[in-house]
Amino acid sequence: MRLLDRLWGAFPTFLIARRNITRARTRSALAVASIVIGVVAIGAIGAGGVAFKEAQMGTLGTIGSDIQVYAGPDKEPGHLTAADVDTVDRVTGTADIVPLKRGDGVLAGRDGDRTGVTLYGVDDPRELYTVDEGDIPGNWRNGALVGRTLADERGLEPGAKLTVNRSDVRDGEVVTSLETYRVAAVLEDEGRAQVARPNGAVVLPPGEFEDDIYAQVVVRTENTRQANATARDVRAAFNDREERVDIFERGQAADRIDQAFAQVNLFLVGIGAISLLVAGVSIANVMLMSAIERREEIGVLRAVGYEKFDILRVLLAEATLLGVVGSLLGAPLALAITALINGALLDDPLAFTAGAFGYVAAGVAFGVVASVVGGLYPAWKAARERPVEALRG
Amino acid sequence: MTAEPSAGVPDDGTRASDASETDGASETDDGPVIVGEGVVKEYETGGETVRALRGVEFRIDPGEFVAIVGPSGSGKSTLLNVLGLLDVPTRGDVRLQGTDVSTFSDTERTRRRKEVVGFVFQSFHLVPTLTAVENVEIPRLLDRTPAATRETACDLLDRMGLADRLDHYPDELSGGQKQRVAIARSLVNDPDLLLADEPTGNLDRETGDRILAEFERITDEGVGVVTVTHDDYVAEFADRTVHLVDGDVFADPAEAR
Repeated sequence: MRLLDRLWGAFPTFLIARRNITRARTRSALAVASIVIGVVAIGAIGAGGVAFKEAQMGTLGTIGSDIQVYAGPDKEPGHLTAADVDTVDRVTGTADIVPLKRGDGVLAGRDGDRTGVTLYGVDDPRELYTVDEGDIPGNWRNGALVGRTLADERGLEPGAKLTVNRSDVRDGEVVTSLETYRVAAVLEDEGRAQVARPNGAVVLPPGEFEDDIYAQVVVRTENTRQANATARDVRAAFNDREERVDIFERGQAADRIDQAFAQVNLFLVGIGAISLLVAGVSIANVMLMSAIERREEIGVLRAVGYEKFDILRVLLAEATLLGVVGSLLGAPLALAITALINGALLDDPLAFTAGAFGYVAAGVAFGVVASVVGGLYPAWKAARERPVEALRG
Repeated sequence: MTAEPSAGVPDDGTRASDASETDGASETDDGPVIVGEGVVKEYETGGETVRALRGVEFRIDPGEFVAIVGPSGSGKSTLLNVLGLLDVPTRGDVRLQGTDVSTFSDTERTRRRKEVVGFVFQSFHLVPTLTAVENVEIPRLLDRTPAATRETACDLLDRMGLADRLDHYPDELSGGQKQRVAIARSLVNDPDLLLADEPTGNLDRETGDRILAEFERITDEGVGVVTVTHDDYVAEFADRTVHLVDGDVFADPAEAR
């Protein structure tokens, strides 16, 4: 008790302020509640938005620096050839390229159901995928890799046999054949933006496809800007008047998605900020009432030697105290709500990002600032009253 | 005591030099605490000018107990406010320990008020959220000397016979106890002038006696005490009684009629 007394004694303005806050408990509690709501609104909305973006980006996969080259409408023949792949490789310099072959097949189930699957021919699967179970053979000439989703659906595991009814276009005609592969590895599921997404597909060595036909070439660059430049170079190499290749730049899409998320989040946080504005008004109201009720008391303080500035300090300390208490109550509440959102969207309540903490911190800062700003006018009004008038009652 | 900053000195050169001549330490100790000459105070109320003080003279010496009596509306409170530097006269000279108060800035007046003047307000004006000892500490609360302030406050309350009421809140104290807390508060800064507005109003005779005895002790320490009162008993007790009628001062009530 003595220690506590001494502590408060070190901050006399806060001693007076604290006692005044406890004088009208309900009123102070309501003012604090308004700050809590504001802080929670900014913190939880902002941090929740970050979690939502994380969740969406997780589904979309890594986005940004890849470009995809397809055969264009004026291409003759109507697909990319090995020579085209070489040209892309030459034009793009040091950037990694991933030529992809593609085909369709049908899996016959035990109970007679038939499922269409996509078949990918990939030169170096290690570069594209993460293995979940089994191994990609060192000599990638036979065997098949299946995605986790397909493996779970079909009960496949490494070593199992996989029979595919393939239909390939050879020399302009559709040729069907029944092929059996041994599953070498199960691949982890990937996000939607993954090149040759493995989830429900079968990945085969390129030798299992027609030699000279490529579905697309993926060029992996360092960043969005480089991707832009590379796309321009590839266009220059292939397209003069005719559109021999189409290029899909992921960077543009990534930027647009990023921007959209940022705008939506800003809008939501703006709504949260309005609630803090209301909180600031409520603080101003509470302080104004308090200052009017304590008019004589403030007059006494002025009479016994308190400067205008001292009165301003005492009342601002009171507003600050309300804001700090409200913010300190609001911050854990905002974090708890964010944890709930994290749990729902990211399957991990503790998946807080720096951005999420940033929003909660911003909420706390705004909460305190709103209180101080709300307290300014009442404090100034009380401080400038003449003591003689105040004491007259 | 130092010379006042020139910014606050009025363009009346003689007054400024007067102030510096009398501005010495010995003057503070032996000379009058506060002197007024031709003090006029006018108010604007509803477009009408009210003359609350019509050129009054006053002089309070250290250790003197002066009672101001007079009917309500005679300017007693205004005079007390002028004495306590809460109000500045419209015209006339007021010198606090030899210094012309019109040379003070607002901030300076507040500082001098804190150093020199102790107030005992009419209805006590204790802060309800603070304990007795905290109420006594108020004038020095912002001085950042909590230990020394607490000691002084406890001593003063002890002297007022309230050593066992330190941590009581005002609503837990009787009227007489509150008044004694208010007196302790007025003494915490070791003032040279104590101003009391109706200090025994609403108190029974016994409590009133106790308060008067306290005032006597304060005057023995060299503090000038000025009290505004309706109570003849207090007036009889005083060294000197000043009658205020319609803003004019009379030493003898007969003169007023």
